[in-house]
Amino acid sequence: MNSQTWLLLLEGAWTTVWISAVSIAIGVVLGLGIALVRMLRIPFVDQLLVLYVSIARATPLVTLVLFIFLVAPTFGIVMNRNLAAILALTLNTAAFNAEIWRGAFLSFSKEQREAAMACGMTPWLCFRRIMLPQMITVSLPGLVNEMSFLIKGSPAIAVIGIVDLTRVTNRISAVTYEPLPPILAAALLYMVVIYALIQLQALAEWRAHRLAV
Amino acid sequence: MSEVPVVSLEGVSKSFNGVEVLRDIHLEVARGEVVSVLGASGSGKSTMLRCINWLEQPDRGTVKINGEHIGVDAQGKQMSVRALASLRARTGMVFQSFNLWPHLTVLQNVIEAPVHVKRIPRSRAVEEALALLDKVGMGHKRDAYPYTLSGGQKQRVAIARALAMAPEVLLFDEPTSALDPELVGEVLAVMRALSLDGYTMVVVTHEMEFARAVSDQVVFLDKGKLIERAPPERFFTAPESERVQRFLATHR
Ligand SMILES: Nc1ncnc2c1ncn2[C@@H]1O[C@H](COP(=O)(O)OP(=O)(O)OP(=O)(O)O)[C@@H](O)[C@H]1O
Ligand SMILES: [Mg+2]
Repeated sequence: MNSQTWLLLLEGAWTTVWISAVSIAIGVVLGLGIALVRMLRIPFVDQLLVLYVSIARATPLVTLVLFIFLVAPTFGIVMNRNLAAILALTLNTAAFNAEIWRGAFLSFSKEQREAAMACGMTPWLCFRRIMLPQMITVSLPGLVNEMSFLIKGSPAIAVIGIVDLTRVTNRISAVTYEPLPPILAAALLYMVVIYALIQLQALAEWRAHRLAV
Repeated sequence: MSEVPVVSLEGVSKSFNGVEVLRDIHLEVARGEVVSVLGASGSGKSTMLRCINWLEQPDRGTVKINGEHIGVDAQGKQMSVRALASLRARTGMVFQSFNLWPHLTVLQNVIEAPVHVKRIPRSRAVEEALALLDKVGMGHKRDAYPYTLSGGQKQRVAIARALAMAPEVLLFDEPTSALDPELVGEVLAVMRALSLDGYTMVVVTHEMEFARAVSDQVVFLDKGKLIERAPPERFFTAPESERVQRFLATHR
C-alpha cells in the first residue's frame, strides 16, 4: 500500500470517528435525558418513550439509516448524508444508553438519598451532587460497551453513500485489486479506536472500587 | 411563657398498607433536651423519628420544628419541595447504616451540604468541618474515602456531617446497632459529649446504659403507641406501665 491509499484510509477512519463521536456524545446525554423523563412517569410521554426505546433497539442500524435518509424528504426535510447518519446512530445508541442510565438510577441506594434529603438537599441537588457522579461511574462500563458496539455497527452508514473506514477499503481494492491489505489496515484502525475506549473503561473501574461499601 | 419546643409531634398517626404503625403520638422535645426512644423491634421507633424530618409522611397529626410546621402547613397544604428541604436542613440525622456518600472523601462528605445547601463559602466550611472532625476524633482521616473506614469511624464522620449544618435537633436511629461490639463505645462517647455540649437530641437506641446515663427523658413505644414518658431514674426503676416493666426485665 502506498501513501496515497493510506491517506484515503485515514480519511475513511476520520469519517467513522467523527460521525460516531458526535452520535455518541449526543446519544449519551439524550439517553440520560430519556431515563430521567421516564423516572417522572408522565402519562403518555412515558408510553411514547417506551415505544421509542423498544423500536430503536429492535431495528437494525442499516434499516434505521436508510429509513431516515429516505423518509425525511417526504416530510419536506432536506437531509444531507452526514446528518442522516448522525441522526440514525444517535437514535439507536440513545435507546440503549437510556436503559443503562435507567438501571443505574433504579438501583441507586435509597439510604444515600435519604441522607441527602435529611441534610436539606432538594431532589435536584441530590441528583446533581450525589447521584449523578456515582451513576456515571456505575454506568461507564455499559456505556463504553455500547460505544464500541456503535463504532462496530457504524459501517451501516455506507448504505447511503458515506465513505467510512469500511467502505473506503472497497474503493481502494477496486483500484489496486488487492483487497487484503486495506482490510487489514482498516481492522487495525478500528482496533486502535476500540482500544482507546477500553482505556476509558479501565478508568471507570478504577474509580468504581470506591463505591463498593 | 415557656419556650417553644424544638420538636413537637401532635397526634401523629401513620399506617403502612393498612397496618397502623404510629397511633396518635404526642411528643415534645425542649431545647437542650436528650430524649431516648425505647421499644421492641417493629414498635414504630424509626417511623416516629423519620416523621420528625418528614422522611416519612404522617397520615394524621402535625409535626413542628421550633414551632414551624414541617411537611404540610397549618391549613394542611403540602409545602413546596424547597421549603421542606430548608426545614430539613435545620435537623440532622444519623442513620444505623451510616449512609455516607462513597464517592466523596471524609472532608467532602462533611462540607457537601454546608457548601451546596447553606451556601457557606468553601474555605469557611472546610475550617468548620475540620473542627468538627477533630471533635469526633476523625481529623486525621479527612482525605480518606468511606470504604477505608471502620464502622465506628464511619458513624463518627456521619455525626460530623450532621453537625456541620448546625442543626437545632439531632435525630439518631440506632446509631450503634450496626457496629461490632468493640466499636460501640467510641460512638457513644461522641454522643455523650454532644449531650454535654447542650445539643438537642432524639435517640432511638437499644443501649440501656446510655439511655440511663445521658437522657433527660425516656419514652417507650409499644405497637405504635407512646405508652410511657419519664426521666431515666424513674423509667428504669419505677416504670408505671406493666409493659415497660416486662421490657426492662428482658433487656438487662
Ligand atoms: N416503608 C415501609 N413500608 C411498609 N412497612 C413499613 C415500612 N417501614 C416500616 N414498616 C413497618 O412498620 C412497623 C414499624 O417499623 P419501624 O421501623 O418504625 O420499627 P422500629 O421500632 O424502628 O423497629 P426496629 O427496632 O426493628 O428498628 C414494622 O412493622 C415495619 O415492618
Ligand atoms: Mg428502627
